[in-house]
Amino acid sequence: MTAKALAAATGIDYREHLRLPMMPHILCPGCGHGIVLKALLRAIRSLDLDWDRLAFVAGIGCSSRLVGYIDGCTLHTTHGRALTFATGLKLARPDLTVVVITGDGDGLAIGGNHLIHAARRDVDLACLLLNNETYGMTGGQVAPTTVPGSVSTTTPRGATEPPFDACALVTAAGASFVARGATSLPLELDTLIAAAIAHRGFSFVEIESDCPEYFGRYNRLGRAPEMLQQQRRRFDEVDETLAAKRFVGAPPHAGVPRLRTGVLHERKT
Amino acid sequence: MPAESGSVLLVGVGGQGVVLSSAVAADAARRSGFDVKQSEVHGMSQRGGVVSSHLRYGPLVHSPLIGAGEADAVVALEWNEGVRAIPALRPGGTLIVSLDRIPPPSAFVDRHGGAVAYPAVAPDTLRRTVPDVRAADATSVAAAAGNARAMNSVLLGILSPLLPFPAEAWDGAIAANVPRAALEANRAAFAAGRALRFPAAPAPGTGRPRRRAPAEPPSVGSVDIVDAWCKGEDCAICVRACPEYVLGFEPDARPVRAVRPDACTACMLCEILCPDFAITVRRAAVPAGPSLVAAETT
Ligand code: SF4
Ligand code: SF4
Ligand code: SF4
Repeated sequence: MTAKALAAATGIDYREHLRLPMMPHILCPGCGHGIVLKALLRAIRSLDLDWDRLAFVAGIGCSSRLVGYIDGCTLHTTHGRALTFATGLKLARPDLTVVVITGDGDGLAIGGNHLIHAARRDVDLACLLLNNETYGMTGGQVAPTTVPGSVSTTTPRGATEPPFDACALVTAAGASFVARGATSLPLELDTLIAAAIAHRGFSFVEIESDCPEYFGRYNRLGRAPEMLQQQRRRFDEVDETLAAKRFVGAPPHAGVPRLRTGVLHERKT
Repeated sequence: MPAESGSVLLVGVGGQGVVLSSAVAADAARRSGFDVKQSEVHGMSQRGGVVSSHLRYGPLVHSPLIGAGEADAVVALEWNEGVRAIPALRPGGTLIVSLDRIPPPSAFVDRHGGAVAYPAVAPDTLRRTVPDVRAADATSVAAAAGNARAMNSVLLGILSPLLPFPAEAWDGAIAANVPRAALEANRAAFAAGRALRFPAAPAPGTGRPRRRAPAEPPSVGSVDIVDAWCKGEDCAICVRACPEYVLGFEPDARPVRAVRPDACTACMLCEILCPDFAITVRRAAVPAGPSLVAAETT
């Protein structure tokens, strides 16, 4: 945790930026998305941005629901189309800082085409994709990010298809800033989101978030605390050390893929 | 801790300094006029394995071994070893534990995923089992005192007020047993550990902390909870994340409560991780002496 991130985390009154009559939010107990919203508010605070020149655009889904709680300029749009609305907004009002909040289903499946083209055009947007490996709002169906073997309502015997690596996808498509963060590393998340917002060009942050209600329950991963813990194990420093010492062979992991967090790709534009 | 005799179990992982700590404590007992016996298991110490040392003192000690439920205090240099040693504690005994975590090689079941089998203990479970837990990030405290490797002396410092050994006996024992190059660092770490203050253990049966004695410094932080926003036991992120077991639930499960309010170190973990904006941590005036440093949530 950087000193700056910790400073932003201390003394922030989140309530100043929430639509209080809407609270408590509708997300399930322990849903990771709330942790992301907090990190986003802290990141904005650390950048000292003008709230009147800041717009949040979202599609449909549990993650996209977050914009409903931000007391600022928000646009809740149609399923998968957050990036197209955001592109239009940015063209009409280039002076605005536009942050897009989307999920893995919204951004990679229904809106997958818009994602790659926004990345290709390198539109100056910050896109946060909250990946919980499932469609939470519609009841836990398989998503393009579901790891093979995982149970969902539509894959009761386990998913069989290979998932997208969202970061690799947008990097290949042309995004100029690509990072991965996680709700279990909440202060690093602040730093990544702040860097993404500050970056000029299409900046993309995939955020590992948890859906204890469906994904966790169906896959017997426990509730939120256990899931957060599990997340950490996927990018434990211990693992990096082992890999560096070549104790670990090259073949890709059969089950849950290893994740690298931090800034994965950056091209100054 | 009885004044005339006592049993202390020290546990940790090879290389942390369990055996040296035990030797220091035994020497301090001897210098205080007690008979003392000590026995250790250190066969795996060079392999990162478990090391434990039994220490008993009194007017006349016949055997060094501490049976299950007999230890007055367990001093654990590693978190999980401390949890594992809980059955050795007598009812009302004290668990002194470092927040340092060293996953054993056997925990690397999944080499790609890292340490997958390092058992997670629900902190509230631990708090219910052992009312008097004195957990400290010993490595950070030792680092602040000069040398992170002297973390074992921090834990001895925490242990020292519980034992009827005068300060000179401790100092003499440290001077006689610690290698000269590391002596000053260990003295400083011991003093830092001795200066740490812990909240009073909850009175038996109540699960709530006793009222704080007026002499104790004020706690470092306090938590404000927005009851209507907290989603309760189905979430429990803050309860499980808090390194000091400050938070818990009343039997009716919702909302979360500060059940050990005096223990809060204002580490902010609960506030940062609460997805529902339900917790705000307030930092109070920092008391003198080293403060406990926040632990990670792994
Ligand atoms: S369904 Fe899953 S993703 Fe949606 S709010 Fe509930 S826990 Fe969060
Ligand atoms: S601030 Fe830290 S010590 Fe205090 S209640 Fe929260 S997690 Fe526990
Ligand atoms: S993390 Fe927040 S919502 Fe969850 S139990 Fe704690 S206070 Fe309640």
